[in-house]
Amino acid sequence: MSALFDENQLRCLEAVLDTLIPPDDYPGAWQAGVGDYLLRQLTGDLAHLQTSYRAFLRCLDAEAQYLHQCDFADLANDERSDLLHRIEKNRLETNWPIEPGAFFAQVVEHCGEGFYSDPGNGGNREGIAWQMIGFEVRG
Amino acid sequence: MSDYDAIVVGSGAGGGVAAAVLAEAGKSVLLLERGRALSFEQVGRDHLRNQRLAIYGHNAGPDIEGNPRTLDPASFPMPVGERQGEHRILRPHEPGYQNNAACVGSGTRVYAGQAWRFMPQDFRMASEYGVPAGSSLADWPIGYEDLLPYYERIEWEIGVCGDHRSMTHLPAYARPYPMPALPLPHKSSVHRRGLDALGWQGLRVPRLINSLPYNGRPACINCQHCVGYACPVDAKNGSHNTTIPRALESGNCSLRTEVMVERLMCSVGGAVTGVEIITADGSRESISADVVVLSCGAVETARLLLNSATAQEPGGIGNGSDQVGRHLQGHYYPGAVGLFPEQLYDGVGPGASLATCEFNHGNEGLIGGGMLTDEDIVTPITFWKRDYPPDVPRWGPAAKQFMRENFCRINDIKGPVQEIPNPDARVQVNPAVRDRYGIPVAHLSGTSHPETVRTASFMRERAIEWLRASGAIAVWGRKPQQYLSGGQHQAGTCRMGEDPAHSVVDNFCRVHSQSNLFVADGSPHVTNGGFNPVETIMALAWRTSEHIVANW
Repeated sequence: MSALFDENQLRCLEAVLDTLIPPDDYPGAWQAGVGDYLLRQLTGDLAHLQTSYRAFLRCLDAEAQYLHQCDFADLANDERSDLLHRIEKNRLETNWPIEPGAFFAQVVEHCGEGFYSDPGNGGNREGIAWQMIGFEVRG
Repeated sequence: MSDYDAIVVGSGAGGGVAAAVLAEAGKSVLLLERGRALSFEQVGRDHLRNQRLAIYGHNAGPDIEGNPRTLDPASFPMPVGERQGEHRILRPHEPGYQNNAACVGSGTRVYAGQAWRFMPQDFRMASEYGVPAGSSLADWPIGYEDLLPYYERIEWEIGVCGDHRSMTHLPAYARPYPMPALPLPHKSSVHRRGLDALGWQGLRVPRLINSLPYNGRPACINCQHCVGYACPVDAKNGSHNTTIPRALESGNCSLRTEVMVERLMCSVGGAVTGVEIITADGSRESISADVVVLSCGAVETARLLLNSATAQEPGGIGNGSDQVGRHLQGHYYPGAVGLFPEQLYDGVGPGASLATCEFNHGNEGLIGGGMLTDEDIVTPITFWKRDYPPDVPRWGPAAKQFMRENFCRINDIKGPVQEIPNPDARVQVNPAVRDRYGIPVAHLSGTSHPETVRTASFMRERAIEWLRASGAIAVWGRKPQQYLSGGQHQAGTCRMGEDPAHSVVDNFCRVHSQSNLFVADGSPHVTNGGFNPVETIMALAWRTSEHIVANW
């Protein structure tokens, strides 16, 4: 649980992040700590985006309910990807209080930051992303 | 009786040299720095907040709050910062701000330390090429030979590694570098193949880094966090560990940090009498000196002169000819990223090792050119943010797979382009916006000259040619656009010249209108070479400081 998001919103956030950087034989975004990165940033540099993030997650679930009669997190992987592609192109069936494509582009950036930046920022747990791509650190 | 013989404002590349030379000559020196002294741990290794990738701030200052600048929206191709009336207000980490580090050593605390001499032609660009319409291209009033003894001193006393025999674009070196070049990473040997295939000159990038133990400090351990970060073993030579310690050890220099100079104090007779400072707790002090040296960087030195207007010089000190703040330039960095069939990455830092000066001059139909080099190790997030190919998905399995398969097979070639000065690219002050101390901020306007964009486009093509000749199977990178350039290589705002009608400082970097006010940073550079300018800043500061001592 977090003070920023309720349980449903966190579940949706995890599903979004793991669609952006999915698990394979290496961890996906959530297991690698991108959620921790994001929750920290949303009380810091990105605090101004708290409301927009909540709106994004709420609308994403509403869109999934409209299209598939279930929450975003309950969609199959390809359905999640399809829906995010529609958001990227602003092709939506429900009303969004934020500009979906532009906000989604920011979420993609934040996800990459959490996954590929230094573990000191809260994500990339134990440098797992660096291990995956071959970036070694000495000294 | 003044409080000090000399006050040096700013502790970066030029200020450190000025403090050392003046203090070692027996002058009492006060060295002022707006930032703090930062330990290795304090600089840290935050991949999102550094001088290379500053998405959320800077690891070496200035603080993102309380240090704004304003920008003419026409100076930058994208909307940046926050709109306020006609201008945009920028924080230091936002594009267009032209940030330099604010800490003891300034940019030298976290730089790559590429140690280039300018070429003889770089000092006489107008004579070599003529002056294109709309530009203020001019010759320097001094030449390569004037700086040569000081280049050598920087190389030996601050400490530069390299291979002087490979510097075939310059007159033969009388003294070699004191240290051999750093080990060649695998990717540089791959790029060597490309240079050989093309028949282009290939040289070892000279760097202000110890390749062997030198000056009582150890050799580089080839880590992966050089440019943008502090050195873990203190093998990178900057003002903080060379000139400033020398100044302090002389017993004649005091260093005060976290102080901001609000304005210069002037006598009626064309001499400065000292500075007025504001300390971290907001208190003001007046400190007098017989000589003042400004080493604040091209933006802040111009700002301080303009904020020091007097009845005699109502437009700002040294600004009688409306030259202070004009001709702002830095370096376009055209280049491209290449994907190779083989693994390039071997983790051997710092990385930028192999360069060519094949295209600094003599390019048909172009004015000047620039150096090209392979790049320091790029952190994964910097690659993802800056170098990621535009035609690969940014999310989903394909994006993860791309990073996984290719991060170690990618390298970029790029380099600084000699910019053609535009008098309208300039620093002014904006009294409507104040910094945390209440001082009017720098206002930036104008753009690069079109000739700069043309040369940059040509150099980008040469980078692509080099990458392909080295075996790259895919190449990408942005085309240069017109915008206001400056950045960490900022220069030109107090240009040097014989004629006060067209320049701010004389050929010893003394402000024309003041008998005892000097500039020791990139501001006097008439043009900025097609090279990282720090060794020239240091060499010029050394020459200026020796002149001050000799004529005391």
